[in-house]
This record gives sequence, structure tokens and C-alpha cells, in this order.
Amino acid sequence: MGNDTLIRKENRKAALFRLAPVMGLVFLFAVFLILAIIKDINIPYSFKNIINQSVVVVVAATGAVFIYTLGSFDISLGASLCVSALIGAMAYNVTGSVLVMLLVCVGVAVGISLVSSVLASVFNLPVFVTTIAMLSLLSALVLVLIGANGTGDVIQVPAAAVRGINNVWFKLIVMVLYLAFCIFLFDFMKLGRKEKFQGGNPVCAKLTGLNGKKLAIAAFAIAGIGVGLGAFLTITYAPTLSRNTASSVGMDIIISIVFGGMPVSGGARSKIYSAAIGAVSMTLLNQIMLTLSLDSGVGQMVKAMIFILVVYISMSNHKGNILPR
Amino acid sequence: MKLGKKLTGTLAIPVITLLAVWLICSSKGVALFETQLNILTFVRAIANVSLVTFALAINLNSGRFDFSVGSVALLSSVISAKIVLALNLGPVAMLLLSIVFGAIFGLISGAVYVSVKLPPIIVSLAIALFYEGLAFALTGGHGVSFANSANLLSFSTIPNLLIIIVIAVLFMVVVFDHTRFGYEYKALQSGQKVAVNTGIKEIPNALICYTIAGAFMGAQGFISATTNGTIQMSLNFGSISPMFMAFLPMFIGGFIGRFSNDKMGYLLGAVTSALISLLYVRLNVSSSVQQIVSALLLVCFLIYLNNEGVIRGLFVRKERAV
Repeated sequence: MGNDTLIRKENRKAALFRLAPVMGLVFLFAVFLILAIIKDINIPYSFKNIINQSVVVVVAATGAVFIYTLGSFDISLGASLCVSALIGAMAYNVTGSVLVMLLVCVGVAVGISLVSSVLASVFNLPVFVTTIAMLSLLSALVLVLIGANGTGDVIQVPAAAVRGINNVWFKLIVMVLYLAFCIFLFDFMKLGRKEKFQGGNPVCAKLTGLNGKKLAIAAFAIAGIGVGLGAFLTITYAPTLSRNTASSVGMDIIISIVFGGMPVSGGARSKIYSAAIGAVSMTLLNQIMLTLSLDSGVGQMVKAMIFILVVYISMSNHKGNILPR
Repeated sequence: MKLGKKLTGTLAIPVITLLAVWLICSSKGVALFETQLNILTFVRAIANVSLVTFALAINLNSGRFDFSVGSVALLSSVISAKIVLALNLGPVAMLLLSIVFGAIFGLISGAVYVSVKLPPIIVSLAIALFYEGLAFALTGGHGVSFANSANLLSFSTIPNLLIIIVIAVLFMVVVFDHTRFGYEYKALQSGQKVAVNTGIKEIPNALICYTIAGAFMGAQGFISATTNGTIQMSLNFGSISPMFMAFLPMFIGGFIGRFSNDKMGYLLGAVTSALISLLYVRLNVSSSVQQIVSALLLVCFLIYLNNEGVIRGLFVRKERAV
């Protein structure tokens, strides 16, 4: 066999592995459809549920891809989303304007992201540890905000105020616009290439004149926009906010990004659409568990096994002779 | 390094913290250790924090971030509690069973990691989900309660907790500083590729690390369960929260390790954390303020650690100017 044939074969194999998350999504979609038909489930209603549940994670996680591409990691995004939503809701209650609520949600989330990135950049702190400290701070801030509101355990936006935008089409439009914005920045602008270069080889990137600190701040700011939009969509879906609002979103973001085939080490193999594929796949998986009426514990075990299987297949082409760290 | 400098570097943080905590309490007219219960709270915090810190540090020092430590504690304590309640056994049996099951679940985590060869952070996410799900399924989501088992609840006394702490520290020092495994661990830690190329077997080393970390979390799960009288279930990564209490002591331990032994450093870091926790308890500080203060302390300490040269430089320049 010639060298060219071998290379072509290897490339085909690599492409197939890279497509594992997409194939996983298609497979889950097919399983869901089959189950829905067998169990006579209202399919349009289920799809509406899937969109409602996945759209917040898709938006927040797509922005987070910029952070992951740098080989960094932010564990505080869920708490940031909760704080942004709470302050956004408070802003609505003061002004009565949905637009102000949206702007406050996005502004607060971007502000929080910038604090994390500036702390990490200016004081040379490890990004991950900075975000752990931010997670504690923001979780505490959630309690303070809810306590300061003085109306019990929740902060509420009148349901009537968001009824007009609490529909699938509005959410899809927000999601598609933000995805398009991220794809444009990531795949068609210098910023995306620089982020991949910085994540893949920070030393070379520095030697070629890239400013890692500026790239980190840009990545966190873009992620902040996603988190802010996620906070706004959270309010439209569930206008009564409590300390548990978006409590699982932080980890869902990490799971979605990884499930969608994004390498945690970042770099050139990063894909902007990973988060969307991963988030929709995980929601489909949850719906399948619900349809099968599985015990919550067993359902989570199955989810864990499918997660590791898909990630194993999608990353199995990149293994060295030492254990990954 | 001179003995005086070693001692100063080793004891500075816990002693300064003790003085600060004591001064704050005194200014509020509160005695830090007023009752036996205050001492018990302090020792229990040291035991909990030091065990989680050891478990997390073993793998994190080698670049393996492990989200599953909390779920190992959860699952091992659930299984050991169920066995102990079914067979009407005592607390020592439950402690031993928790450690054994913790070690087994830690080993399984490690085995999955070395088999699939995925980044440990990803594997630990899947393992955490799986163990949480298994614990939930085993208890039907109701958790385990042994509020009526007086003998299990009576275990968490000061002498018993101190024995656990001493054994854990001695075990860490002996295994990681005085065995071949420990030397290989350090070699892999500082130069993974070179160590593997020189013939060090990385996979068994990683498996042992995960097993030891699991055993520590088993013990921590036992202490937590016998203190609360119940084991509550967590899903969707609810079990990862115990991990966060280990970060400050771990970084303090790393700093102290420069002057003495890092394992002693982790213990002293846990003592420092426990002093701060006791201060919160004595002054009835709300949980939100506790979280904010703890996060700020972590950030400030990290800023110092990562900018030590610059900060020292500032002081040196000032001295020269004077």
C-alpha cells in the first residue's frame, strides 16, 4: 500500500472520528423519534420542550467555546448566569422595560467575565482557580441579592411581561443570531485563528507577537455575552428566579462542550458548533430517559456511559504513549 | 535553609490566622474555644478538610483534576451505611468499609481513566455522574438515615477524629516520601515524558493514586455521614461541592511545602481553614458572607503566591529608599 493511500485512509478515519458527536446527535434523534412513535408521544410538544431546555445551554456554552479554545476553563458560568438573571429581573422591576432587562443581563454577565479575566491576566492567576473563587463569590452574591430583595426566597418578573417573547421562535432567533455572531468571529475573523493558535501553542503564539492577555479578555467578554443572553432567556422561560435558578447550567456547559467533540486542551481542533451539538444531544438524552420512565439515578448512569462513549470515540484518534493530563 | 527560616515559613500562616481569629473573637467579646463542642467543631473541620485536601492534591499535583472525589465519598458511605445498618455493625466497621469501598471506587475511576486515555477532567465528570446515579438508585433517592443508631453517631469524638487525622498524615508522608511508589510519583509529577521514557510505569502509579484518593474520600464520607446522621442524595454534580473546601488548604500546603513537608503543609492548611470556619461559627456569620470571605481569602493568597517576586521587590525597594 502506497503512502498516499495510507494517508488518505488515516484522514478518512480521523474525519469519521471527528464526526462522532454529530453521529451521536443523529442517533439520539432517531432513538427519540422511534420511542415517541412507539409510545404515542406528542412530538411537536416534545420538540418545543427540547428547544426550551437546550437553548440556554447552547447560547451560554457557545460563547464559552472561546474560553475553552485557549485551553482555559470557566466553572463559574452557571453562577454568573444566575447573578445576571437576578440583577436583570431587578432592573425590570425598577424600570418596567424588557430591553433594559436584556441590556442589564448582558452587561452584568460581561462585567463578571471581565473581572475573572482581568484578575487572571493582571495578577497572573491560573484561570481555572480564579473561576473557582468567582464561583464562590457569585454563589454568595445570589444569596445576598435574593435576601436584599426582601420578598422572600425569590425575585419575580411578572409573567405577563415576558409572555410575548416566551415562544420557541423568539428563542430560536436569539440562538441563531448569537451562533452566527460566534461562527463569524471564530471561523472567519483573525480573532478565532489567534485564539486557536494561543490555545494550541502559547509559547509559539507569544513569540510571534500575540498578546495572550488581550485574547483571554476577548474570549471572556464573548462568553459573557452568551451568558447574559442565556440569563435573559432563562427569565423569559421561568420568570420566578430563586437561588436554584440555572443551578445545573454551569456543569451542563462543560458537559455539552465536551460531548460536542471539543478538546478540553483547546487549540486548532476546537469547533464553535461543539456546544450546540452537545447541548441538544444531552437534552435529547434526558428526554429519552424521561420517555423510558427510567429512575433518575439509573438515567444519570446511562447518561454518564453514553457521554464517555461518545467522547471516547470522538477523541480516540489523538492518543499518545503517556497518560493525558 | 536555616531551621529558623524553616520554622517561620512553616508556622507563619496558621499562627497568624490563629492570632487574627483570636483577636477578632476577643474584640467581639467571644471566646474562640468556649466549650467542648467548639473544640469538636474545630477538630472535625480539620479532619474533613485535610482528608479532602489529600485526596484532591494527590491527583491534582500530577495535573489530574478530579471532579469525582465527592461522589466517591457519597457512594462509599451509602454502601457502607447500608451494610452496617443491615448487619447491625458498629462505627469502626463502617469506617473500614467506607475506606475499602472508597478505595475500590477510586481504583475504578483510575481504571477508566487509564483505559480510555481521555483527559482526567472529562473522565471524572462521567464518573461523578455515574456514582451519583448509582448512589441515588441504591437508595431510591431517599438517602440513608441512621438518626436512631446512637453508636454510629457517637463515633465523631475528638480522640477518634485525631486518630484518623494522624493516621492519614503518617500514611501520606510514608507512602509519598519514603517508598519507591512515592519517588516515581514525584518523577512523573515533575517530568512525565522523561519519567516514562526512563522506565517508570505510569499506569500502576496513577491507579495507586486514584485508589489512595478514593480511600481518603471514603473516610471523609464516613465522618460527614456520622456527623450529620443522614446521607443525602445528589444528582447533576451536586456531589462536587466538598471539593471546593480543599483549594485554600491545598495552596497554603504548597506554600508551606517550600519550607518543610508539603503533606504537613496540607494539614496546616486544613488547620488554618478550620480556624476560619470556627470563627464563622462563633460569630454566627451568614453562609453568604462566609462564602465571600473564603473566596476573597483564596484570591488574595493566590495573588500573593503568583506575584511573590513583585511584592517582595516592592518592599526591598522601599527599604533601600529608606
